[in-house]
Amino acid sequence: MDLKELWGKQASSIPDTSELIQKAREFKRNSLWRLVLTNILLLVTSAFIVLIWVYFQPEMITTKLGITLIILAMLLYLLVYNKLFSILGHVDYEASNSEYLQRLLKLKEKQLFLHTTMLNTYFILLSAGICLYMFEYVSRMTVTWGAFSYGITLLWVALNWFYFRPRSITRQQDKINRLIRDFEELRKQLMNQ
Amino acid sequence: MTFEDIYRTHWPKVLRLCIGYVNDPHWAKDLAQETFITVWQRLPKFRNESSIGTWVFRIASNHCLRQIEQEHKMPRSAMPLDIEDVSPPTTDNAMAFLYKSISELPETDRIIISLELEDIKQAEIANIVGISEANIRVRIHRIKEKLTQKFEKFER
Repeated sequence: MDLKELWGKQASSIPDTSELIQKAREFKRNSLWRLVLTNILLLVTSAFIVLIWVYFQPEMITTKLGITLIILAMLLYLLVYNKLFSILGHVDYEASNSEYLQRLLKLKEKQLFLHTTMLNTYFILLSAGICLYMFEYVSRMTVTWGAFSYGITLLWVALNWFYFRPRSITRQQDKINRLIRDFEELRKQLMNQ
Repeated sequence: MTFEDIYRTHWPKVLRLCIGYVNDPHWAKDLAQETFITVWQRLPKFRNESSIGTWVFRIASNHCLRQIEQEHKMPRSAMPLDIEDVSPPTTDNAMAFLYKSISELPETDRIIISLELEDIKQAEIANIVGISEANIRVRIHRIKEKLTQKFEKFER
């Protein structure tokens, strides 16, 4: 059986290039949309917090420090999110398969590191920021109400730190580790004689 | 060479490579389209360090390899073209059987054999895949042996 002849029999009509260009546009639009939305959401929140600063004129340094930390947390999140977006979008498809797999592996490891570190730092900054910010207002309350306010806040912080944060990290890790395993498997295929 | 020229010359070859890889015409078409979107985006920066064919096939095969990220969403058993029991062999289902047999090989072997069947020189295949030419030669030999065995069973 002549395999080459059989192989070439696969008939195919060449689709119009306009179909291709339309697809390229859709592709770009979809991925850009999420990026833009996240950026807008966090920037609007930051602007809102700045507005609080301007409007309420906090007196204590703790309040100002708290606000700064919260904004810093959001900016950090944005920075890493945008960076991840750009490194994931620019894998070098022009490399040979073995180089490509190697680069993809490095990229996934970087992604794993960035995601975990970013999430930890984000929660620390955010929690510290909120606790500092509250201090000025809590100090004007009675002891009972003050303790209650901090109690609720710390409970929320604990929930985030011990439940949501590890869950998000584990989920991401599972996904990326699975991919790393698969890419390594492919690379092994090329290494084996 | 303009994009149109590259597209017209290489579309059928790239599509065959993709069908050999995923054994699903629609999925393969998507993959071929993604390949040419990359070609279109990167063409202005193409430096003639390799032949245009090598360059296009590198992009196509890397897009194929990346499908492993999606593959988990689609179990292999859900794939179409399960024609092993069909007889007697005609050209059409022999062709389908060839594509099916290729899609059952390890991922990198699928790329290597598809390029070989496309009549790409072995030195060029080595350049696309990124392993030595000697290694490519050995592999092609083994893959062809495997495929021939499968075909012997098929024809019986």
